Amino acid sequence: MRPKLHILAIVLVLGTIARAQAVSIQLDAGTFRVAGWQPAATPPAGGWASVLSVYAGTADAPAMLGSYSVEGGTLVFRPRYPLAAGVKYRAVFHQPGRTPIERSFDGPTRLPAAATRVDRVYPSADVLPSNTLRLYIYFSAPVSRGEVADRLHILDGTGKELKDVLLPGQELWDPNNQRLTMTFDPGRIKRGLESNSKMGPPIAEGQRYTLVIDRGWPDAQGMPLAADYRKEFRGGPPVRVPPAPKQWKVTPPGAGTSTPLVVEFGRSMNYPLLQRMLQVAGPGGRVAGTIAVDGNETSWRFTPRMPWAAGTYQLMVDTDLEDISGNRIDQPFDIDVFEKVTEHLTTRMVSVPFSVR
Amino acid sequence: MQPRFLVRAAIALGATTIIVLLVLSAYRPVDAAAVLTAGKADLKSAGALTFGPDGVLFVGDSIGGAIVALDTNDKTPVKTAAVNVQGLDQKIAGLVGVMPDQILINDVAVNPISKNVYVSAARGRGPDAAPLVVKVEPSGKVTPLSLDNIPHTSVALVDAPANDATARQNPRTTTITDMAFINGNLLVTGMSNEEWNSALRSIPYPFSNAAKGTQLQIWHASHGRFETQAPVRTFVPYTLGGQPYVLAAYTCTPLVKIPMSALKPGAQVKGVTIADLGSGNQPLDMVPYQKDGHQFILIANTTFGVVKLHADTLATDKPIDSPTVVDVAGAPYDKITTLTNVRHLAQVDDGHALVVSATAGNTNLQTIALP
Repeated sequence: MRPKLHILAIVLVLGTIARAQAVSIQLDAGTFRVAGWQPAATPPAGGWASVLSVYAGTADAPAMLGSYSVEGGTLVFRPRYPLAAGVKYRAVFHQPGRTPIERSFDGPTRLPAAATRVDRVYPSADVLPSNTLRLYIYFSAPVSRGEVADRLHILDGTGKELKDVLLPGQELWDPNNQRLTMTFDPGRIKRGLESNSKMGPPIAEGQRYTLVIDRGWPDAQGMPLAADYRKEFRGGPPVRVPPAPKQWKVTPPGAGTSTPLVVEFGRSMNYPLLQRMLQVAGPGGRVAGTIAVDGNETSWRFTPRMPWAAGTYQLMVDTDLEDISGNRIDQPFDIDVFEKVTEHLTTRMVSVPFSVR
Repeated sequence: MQPRFLVRAAIALGATTIIVLLVLSAYRPVDAAAVLTAGKADLKSAGALTFGPDGVLFVGDSIGGAIVALDTNDKTPVKTAAVNVQGLDQKIAGLVGVMPDQILINDVAVNPISKNVYVSAARGRGPDAAPLVVKVEPSGKVTPLSLDNIPHTSVALVDAPANDATARQNPRTTTITDMAFINGNLLVTGMSNEEWNSALRSIPYPFSNAAKGTQLQIWHASHGRFETQAPVRTFVPYTLGGQPYVLAAYTCTPLVKIPMSALKPGAQVKGVTIADLGSGNQPLDMVPYQKDGHQFILIANTTFGVVKLHADTLATDKPIDSPTVVDVAGAPYDKITTLTNVRHLAQVDDGHALVVSATAGNTNLQTIALP
């Protein structure tokens, strides 16, 4: 009898080992499964999370969010958010009364993204007024936020980095993370403010500067930029006189043609605002067409979708249109006005008539 | 017999109590959360936070151009609670399965009823970043709000359309810089990525259909002599001389008082500069408080760190109204050097504030006694 008992014991132990060995955690298409284990139809008192948990990274952090289900007799965990490249995931299976089984997985491999670069910067001129208000940086593809402090620099003529030039702590992005707006410290631009008199404007007339964007700036995939970006510029005289549409040179196109209407401002204007604050109205209402901006944002070209019909037209100018120094139509940046309060966000327009013959 | 009588008396008393409670509840003012409907809160981003009544949390969605009111269903009153959570970003990162550097913490607010802390964040730094709102309990437990199914309502902010209809997404956004709820209205300030214009919006809550879109009451925050249309970075409702004001800290760091009574459609809004903190700096958050019979405002800044402004005489301080006298002047302030790397401040109660600080890739939450 005794040998038989031994055999039975060995068989039981072997069977248990075999069963324990057969249990494994698998990761398939972003979903974790416990193979070789038959879960009960209903979750245990502590929920399925007491049986299977997945942790991200190495820090002492709570288990990942997600949902559990039993599918075809297998316990399945679907993370609430997709697994991320570059992250180690640790799945822990606690079978009641047994040693936990642990397995680590790497997040998905990073897709080799086309190298992202700085596409263009506005103002595009290489002489900028000492009271230039903003920089617009266009990237060729979406990039990561929260990198300005480390990756964007303004250097002086000797290559020394300048602090207190741009407003700190304020990255303004478009929804696609492809265009960054940075503001020069307005306190140093406005005359009469302490910082303007003490420190002078952020850009000094006659001095040379370089805007540098490090290639270490990660794009939206976490990959560095293709190259450093450098834009050299020189400080020019401040522009304090507001733009006046009456002084603009408007070159009307010929009737029956699709040649562009050309408006020359005599100064560099705010590039993004030129995309939406100038419109053309004709005898039949607003004219549809496409906009091009050139000459360092001193010139605006409007090509109609349909050929021009003879008649009188209006160039409609939103008075919030700014030049690169933040001067709005008929209103300089650093002169205060008390505006009439309006119930709705109204846009005020001025118009410049022109004839198409 | 006596026990049975007692039982009957108890039942009668209980029933009466229930009836009284029912009647009382029927006469309670409408619960601010009761107007919210369950469903998916379609946030594109989670930024500025502030609490309204009844545990309603307002979340500024700069990318979606909207403000969403969420029912936190967190209404158990707690008098005060201290929070000390190290590595908040790591905890959030663990929950959502990314490395901590992929968590951007955007704002923090303390539920005035439960004293639990609510944090808005982004999972990821790219355009596909997912918005997160998490609750942090004094125990350090971090729980995300399920935005997929939560009682909520939202209001869209007016946004100028791009001229180029073929653009994939309108590149113009207004980053909601701050919000505060006062007297049934949500005050909202923002900063555009295109124009310099600043608007201070007042949105009645509950958001009615009429309050949506272009029906918002909007006025320009016009102010002292030196600031023209500058964006408000942070503000607090504040009482001066018995009158309600908005105290606004601007991007060029002047502190301006604007009488609430002036914030009406059709009126002229004139603010008065009462202090200037200096240049090259952005104010981040303000917490007004009273201590030892004196008024103070704790202000967190990008460059100047945390300062304690002496506010006793704000009501009568001579306005800074001439460019020649502008200095780091007006109300005096002390630098609080014990508080470093502070990113956000929020009021907890009359004597405490919550501080969010970030050092060496570690974001920490801590309750402090107001200095």
